[in-house]
Amino acid sequence: MPATPAPAQPPVEVFESGDAALRVVAFSPDREANWATVHALAGWLDAAGADGVHGAVPTYDSLLVEFDPAITSIRQVRAFVLLGLRQLEFTGTPARAPREFNVPVVYGGEYGPDLERVAEQQQLPVEEIIRLHTTKSYVIRCLGAPAGSPMMDGPDFPFPVPRLKDPRLSVPAGAVSVAGRQAVIAPAVAPGGWCVIGQTPLTVLDATSEPLVPYVPGDTLRFHQIQPEDFSTYAGLKLEAAR
Amino acid sequence: MSLIIQQPGNSVVTDLGRFRGPRFGLPVNGALDQFSARAANILAGNGDNAPLLEVTALDFRMRATTNLLIAVTGAPLRLTVGGRECQQWEPVSVRAGETVALRRIDGGLRAYVAVHGSVQAPVLLGSCAPDTVVGFGLRLREGTELKTLKTVAPIRQPYFDLPLFRLGLTRPEFSSTAMVEVTDGPDVDEFGSTADLLFTTEYTVSARSNHIGLRLGGALPERQSSAEVLSRGVPVGAIEVPSREELLVLHRGRGVTAGYPVLAVVTSRSLDVLAQTRPGHKIRFKKTSVPEATAKHRAALRELETLRSTVGTVFPLLGIGGQPGSQQLAPAAGT
Repeated sequence: MPATPAPAQPPVEVFESGDAALRVVAFSPDREANWATVHALAGWLDAAGADGVHGAVPTYDSLLVEFDPAITSIRQVRAFVLLGLRQLEFTGTPARAPREFNVPVVYGGEYGPDLERVAEQQQLPVEEIIRLHTTKSYVIRCLGAPAGSPMMDGPDFPFPVPRLKDPRLSVPAGAVSVAGRQAVIAPAVAPGGWCVIGQTPLTVLDATSEPLVPYVPGDTLRFHQIQPEDFSTYAGLKLEAAR
Repeated sequence: MSLIIQQPGNSVVTDLGRFRGPRFGLPVNGALDQFSARAANILAGNGDNAPLLEVTALDFRMRATTNLLIAVTGAPLRLTVGGRECQQWEPVSVRAGETVALRRIDGGLRAYVAVHGSVQAPVLLGSCAPDTVVGFGLRLREGTELKTLKTVAPIRQPYFDLPLFRLGLTRPEFSSTAMVEVTDGPDVDEFGSTADLLFTTEYTVSARSNHIGLRLGGALPERQSSAEVLSRGVPVGAIEVPSREELLVLHRGRGVTAGYPVLAVVTSRSLDVLAQTRPGHKIRFKKTSVPEATAKHRAALRELETLRSTVGTVFPLLGIGGQPGSQQLAPAAGT
């Protein structure tokens, strides 16, 4: 497999996280390196498939490794994690061509009830919020709650976006939201405190397929604006990689 | 061959959990009281992870259309089969047409019903455990027909008043004041000296608790720093302080990632205790170490292994679990 030259690995620390999990944290000022390291380690652990290790959940700078304490032990899992890190130090992070996803979005109105609030808070016209949101190519950083949401670094707004004071009890599937410096699409109906600026008619989550969502961390995603009358044209279509 | 649900109460078909879920952003879910669920399956002659029924808080009734062998574990309750009072934590013979009723779940919150040969349920990522977020799983309703896979000829005890089995598993204790063991969380230092409040306070289980997490009222440790926390994976059992009102203890339905510091983590063994606490119950926390927690967890599983080998000896003698045909054991004398 082609590999990027091995850059210096960020310093890593392993913490106990109860009797059935470890938290691995990469500490360096280089956020990209931290992210690449924890995701590469998660991939390595998955591929290695050690007995009693259920799997790994990588996010930004950390990785949760869950295991069955009846089959393996925290000491063994820690040793296994350190072995993975040492191997990755030699081989570098395996290069995987990211796929790109294009996501049609109806902005504002009933589809994006918080669009005007966000525009006001950013002191920008609504059109500029949409422009900033559709300009960027987003890297999917990790899969979050609920149900494999694609967590992305947010659009280049001037200010972080505050969360709603009263979170909604139910946000529809396909909701396109921003909060802080992050952006996300909701794959499933769930409560939510992020600002909903639009909605995609595409189906993101398919509970009958495996994996349930089509993207993996490292893939990229772009939004483009469609009009409310086009919503039904796309409805029922699945989110699929453009390349 | 099936079970017809007559009174569903609050019941689902589940197993030990979706262990491959978290990497895809899905919680592990599965039976909240894992010991009771494993015990029920073993007592019914199944593998630990076979689909079984989890009945929470409310009365439950179902009718068997075929001869079955079942086992009911978990919270104390009144179990009747065809009107006869039967024992929990032992195998129970059910004849075709009889009604199985679980009433007055008391002391604990969740009961488990395993059926020899198990029941059919849809599977997602290797597990039938319901996931309320993606809308997956088999929630039982009045009239639901659960397909069963094996039949077991009626087994009768020749001496009327004696229970059929006495396999001798030590049952867990159920109490309205639970002792819950925890290990230090990876972020305990962020709480400074207030972390000790966790061990000196008696907490009360709130009615807003569910399979995602338990909310506990009482004196709250306070985070000393206000630095932003990036979302990260949190383990089942993580104790967080997300608001000034309640302590949150995450259980098996927890969102896989969160942005709150983890003060402590409930041990695998004590997660079963928490699964059985009812709103209003009191909880005290006690600190332990990972090696001690692991030793207790393994001791409990060893007890279940002993039970499995007992079952493995007794069942063939009764013609249960053998080749088709060998189950047609003649009814015992005296009936």
